[in-house]
Amino acid sequence: MPAEEFYVRYYSGHQGRYGHEFIEFEFHADGRCRYANNSNYRNDSLIKKEMTVSPLMIKELKRIIADSEVMKEDDHKWPKKNVVGKQELEIRFGNEHVSFETAKIGSLVDVQGSEDPEGLRVFYYLVQDLKCLVFSLITLHWKVGSDEMFDLLHYASKVAKACLGMDLKGYQNLTKA
Amino acid sequence: MSDRYEIDLNVKPGDDLQDEEMAEAPQVKRKGRGFQSGDQRGDGVHSSAFDKLNSSDDSASGRALKSIEGWIVLITGVHEEATEEDILDKFGEYGEVKNVHLNLDRRTGYVKGYVLVEYEKFSEAEEAIAAMNGAKMLDQTLTCDFAFVKPTNNDDRGRRGLTTRGRGGHGGRRSGRSSSPTRR
Repeated sequence: MPAEEFYVRYYSGHQGRYGHEFIEFEFHADGRCRYANNSNYRNDSLIKKEMTVSPLMIKELKRIIADSEVMKEDDHKWPKKNVVGKQELEIRFGNEHVSFETAKIGSLVDVQGSEDPEGLRVFYYLVQDLKCLVFSLITLHWKVGSDEMFDLLHYASKVAKACLGMDLKGYQNLTKA
Repeated sequence: MSDRYEIDLNVKPGDDLQDEEMAEAPQVKRKGRGFQSGDQRGDGVHSSAFDKLNSSDDSASGRALKSIEGWIVLITGVHEEATEEDILDKFGEYGEVKNVHLNLDRRTGYVKGYVLVEYEKFSEAEEAIAAMNGAKMLDQTLTCDFAFVKPTNNDDRGRRGLTTRGRGGHGGRRSGRSSSPTRR
């Protein structure tokens, strides 16, 4: 009897002056976990980490996803990806396989102003919880200063959005003038 | 040649087998715009050359894998009102706790339900797990184990996830089957 199918992948990124800046991670049912993070701002390089988490970790991950009820949602009314970037959440859980794609979300204001605030809110919070978990795993296993990376990407996307597609460098030049 | 892989959601089971790696059991329900998107990415989790920590090949630690500075224990079933003090109270007994990640639910502000605790020595982590697995804290039963383990096989060829992107010629994991060698 095959084990319950399970797979999670999250991606958030954009293409800009600094190339492809993104964060992506995935978990397989057997515990294999990959994390990739690229930011060319200040010449930071591509980080690619791989590790195997224990069955208990996968069990907890499944619980978090199940509790969120994200599998019940649908992305057809969610904001479409745009020049500022996109997010992808792909989950295979038992008999269901979702692959959601939406724009970056700056804050709850974006959620509340959307056509499906309840669904997008579920997505929004789950993504934060997943990132939090992955951030802890990476930080503890590798002792890298990942919080800087997370904050940086988040900040960069907010600024770019505020300036209607301008990238971080453009914004900095603007404020210096 | 276009690598765009498109799937019509009304297609009959079995029709979407252009990319054979995408063959999912027909009863799997699919949902989401990502199945229509043909975005290709050469980087990210589907690329190669990932850093990993190797085990130092000491069988004393069994399947557990040491992290860069210590041993990480995962505890689940943590009560939503648990505090870091509660954790240190219970787990400090087995060794010096080097790090605690008691993550909060980002929506409610309560504890999400798990905590990651770092010990410097394997023996401390092992003892904590043995003692606290199944124990109660704030009336809730905890489950404990190592957070990181040694990989289950030596396949270093970069396992692919259940990508919805048709990338011709790449090996993917078939659902419900044992892993076949990835094609490169």
